[in-house]
Amino acid sequence: MRITKDMKMADVIQMNYMLIPVIHRFGINLGFGDKTVKEICEETQVDLNFFLQLVNTYHDKDYFPKEELQSIPSKDLVAYLKMTHSCYLNDKLSEIEDLIVALQHTESEDKKYILLIKDFYEAYKNEMTEHIIHEEEVVFPYVLAVEEICKTGVISEKNQKIYDSFSILKYQDVHDDVEEKLMDLRIIMIKYLTPPLDASLYHKIIQTLFILEQDLSYHSRIENKVLIPKIVGMEKIISEMN
Amino acid sequence: MNNIKIVVAEASYLIQKGLGAILKKLGDNLIVQEMDKAEGLFESFSSFNPDILILNPDLFESSTELLKEDCAKLGDCKLVIISNGEELESKYSADAFLHYNDGQAKIISCLEGLKDELIKKNKKENSSEPISAREKNILKHIALGLTNKEIADQLFISIHTVVTHRKNITHKLGIKSVSGLTVYAILNDLIAMDEVK
Repeated sequence: MRITKDMKMADVIQMNYMLIPVIHRFGINLGFGDKTVKEICEETQVDLNFFLQLVNTYHDKDYFPKEELQSIPSKDLVAYLKMTHSCYLNDKLSEIEDLIVALQHTESEDKKYILLIKDFYEAYKNEMTEHIIHEEEVVFPYVLAVEEICKTGVISEKNQKIYDSFSILKYQDVHDDVEEKLMDLRIIMIKYLTPPLDASLYHKIIQTLFILEQDLSYHSRIENKVLIPKIVGMEKIISEMN
Repeated sequence: MNNIKIVVAEASYLIQKGLGAILKKLGDNLIVQEMDKAEGLFESFSSFNPDILILNPDLFESSTELLKEDCAKLGDCKLVIISNGEELESKYSADAFLHYNDGQAKIISCLEGLKDELIKKNKKENSSEPISAREKNILKHIALGLTNKEIADQLFISIHTVVTHRKNITHKLGIKSVSGLTVYAILNDLIAMDEVK
């Protein structure tokens, strides 16, 4: 079912709890009574169109309003992506880490595998953090510069420098394998390890991994299917300008 | 069993969605891609690699010959022709034919049949057996951090063989990354924890 502007925000969340972190990234807090999506967006000064496109993209995996999403300024897209990044860095990644550390303290006959999981996760976390930093420091400034050049038709000295230093194609190459590791961890925990006697913590880790994985796949769907094509198109325009 | 990939190439939105709904009844492990244009249809196959193509020839309007040529190149992909007319059986060589006025039972049994064939074939190709001794040996080398070339040199096999083994290992275990494979190797005592670089 499509989420529309006249629906009650509370109903939207009842429909899909995965949207809780998404609306949070827009700066919208729970406790909205009977207010509609439109009212909440006005109150929190969130662009209604962008909000609807995005929550629908999350909510229904077949819904992918490429064109509408591509009409949203890169600036807003980048702002949103940055918010999800900080959510990963500040909450999600450390949440799982804490759970794994807690697992280390449980009674278990086999401490070896917990250490393995922990090391594996650490490596993943570092890689993920690096990936995010790369996006924030290199990719996003590039995206914003490209958009500015396209909009104004002028290439300032600063933007020229950024434009020359990077190309969105370079970004496409490295984008795939971050999620791979996360998936591997989940598969190892499901297929190849025996959980400790008190398995509830172990189960919780797997469930949290699933949720993070899903959230990440939506996140990269927006990067891959909206942001990248948009910038590829703009690069073309700029190269024709010269 | 891996996911079965299906492409539905049909211009009518209603029929496309209807087929999508029917396909959902076949099980969860289906990935359905919808196409409503002839352009780019066969080109997209090199990346998507479907197992079944459900195609309405109307999409190609009059260019029957062109379509036949493309269909001949499908290889392992099963072809289902969907149409309103009756005379197409003689025109195309397809694995199955569906008509607009077919009933539920016929459509489902036709698609179930194709699905079973695919599953049978897949079973033969990659048995879900645990990895072989040879593969274990390769896995051990991967876990130790060796590159494909180094493994090939040490075991006196070609790089191509190493790559094939790697693919099979990843396929059987479901683990893709080197660090994931390393964890598996340690868990199964193929290497010791302190051997890892």
